[in-house]
Amino acid sequence: MAENNTIDALKNVFSESILHHEINAGDQCVVFVSPSQNTEILSWLREEPTQSYDLLVDVTAVDFGEGLPLQVVYQLWSLKHKNSLRIKCELEIENLTIKTVTSIWKSADWLEREVYDLFGVEFIGHPDLRRILMPKTYDEGHPLRKDFPLRGRFSRAEQTRRALSQDYHDYYTEEMLEIGGEPAVSSPKYDTDKGNAS
Amino acid sequence: MGLNRDGVNTQDIFEAQDMGYSGGHKGIEMGGGGPTFLTTKIDFVVNWARKNSLWPMPFGTACCAIEMMASAASNFDLARFGMERMSFSPRQADVLICAGRVPYKLAPVLRRTYDQMMQPKWVVSMGACASSGGVFDTYSMVQGIDTIVPVDVYVPGCPPRPEGLIYGLMMIQEKIREETLADHSELRSEDPDRAGLPEAGDEDISALSGPFGNSTQQEYLTGLAQTKRPDRPKDLLP
Repeated sequence: MAENNTIDALKNVFSESILHHEINAGDQCVVFVSPSQNTEILSWLREEPTQSYDLLVDVTAVDFGEGLPLQVVYQLWSLKHKNSLRIKCELEIENLTIKTVTSIWKSADWLEREVYDLFGVEFIGHPDLRRILMPKTYDEGHPLRKDFPLRGRFSRAEQTRRALSQDYHDYYTEEMLEIGGEPAVSSPKYDTDKGNAS
Repeated sequence: MGLNRDGVNTQDIFEAQDMGYSGGHKGIEMGGGGPTFLTTKIDFVVNWARKNSLWPMPFGTACCAIEMMASAASNFDLARFGMERMSFSPRQADVLICAGRVPYKLAPVLRRTYDQMMQPKWVVSMGACASSGGVFDTYSMVQGIDTIVPVDVYVPGCPPRPEGLIYGLMMIQEKIREETLADHSELRSEDPDRAGLPEAGDEDISALSGPFGNSTQQEYLTGLAQTKRPDRPKDLLP
């Protein structure tokens, strides 16, 4: 693999915002940057011809628990130079807000929705920040956080009742439903107050 | 297989529905209450037709579905048992084979599929995940589909081999063989108001899905699920 000059270049351009870096798993460069500068650094990494990290492979997050900061991870790949780079931003667990990168990579849209859904990181400026994996009506929090109980916060009975009272309106916006048209057979709106089997 | 299976029992279904679920099980009076030559012969013919033309509704969500497909493929050939056609519409299906793990997000789909199936209908819970949640004792998983829909046969395994599924389906066939029209209304009664609601009550769901619930609540389960070991008389035919 070609020598990765990205770290030196980043330090020259964004001296203060590049906190530290490390090499993981042999040749994976991991650069910790200041969360307040994430869009500037990432757009520079994409636009700069000597770097041109044009593919956003993944946006994810890591929660270590015990009050440690939560890491938002951007995994980048340069198709031109065949380099990979991992950018990490550490957020305090009390204040999980970071600027969105959807203006740089369109593909960040759903990836950031997933991070928001499962970790509760709020991406400022995201065009459509809502849950993507869990149901829209999910009220138990963000499941991949370390402080989330494995079996969820509600009882299984409550979870089952809530699951069965889902409606297609919980999954689609009004615009989507307009595009799709009215269903041929209207679905019964399940009433959760009817109680349970005896 | 050529018999008009639905035509035979349509009247009974209508009568059962007219009586309603809340009105109690009156039972259909045939032959003065006891089995007669006529009713037993009708039972025989109806059950023979039904058990040899079961159309499965595949609800495959995970690796169990691969084994289910293998069961339908030529090596194991589910068609030998009358399950010639996998019915991908619940309206034309008789057996719902739930193969694989069911997350809560999918639970209303499973319940809707079951509600849409025509009577008479049976449910096979295939594999550990569908039967008990399996190793997925987490926030997102249904801990056994018997909390969502009534289940007739559980096929254990992770995943079960095709022989296991075929054995489970043959147990359904034996269950059908023992049915009589006399208790038809009791077997087939359904409350329309119960559509889309959990099959089990709160206490049952909690007991079934506590940590390692289905393993440690065996006694409770035995009282809960009214299963009857099928007699295996020698005359398995026709």
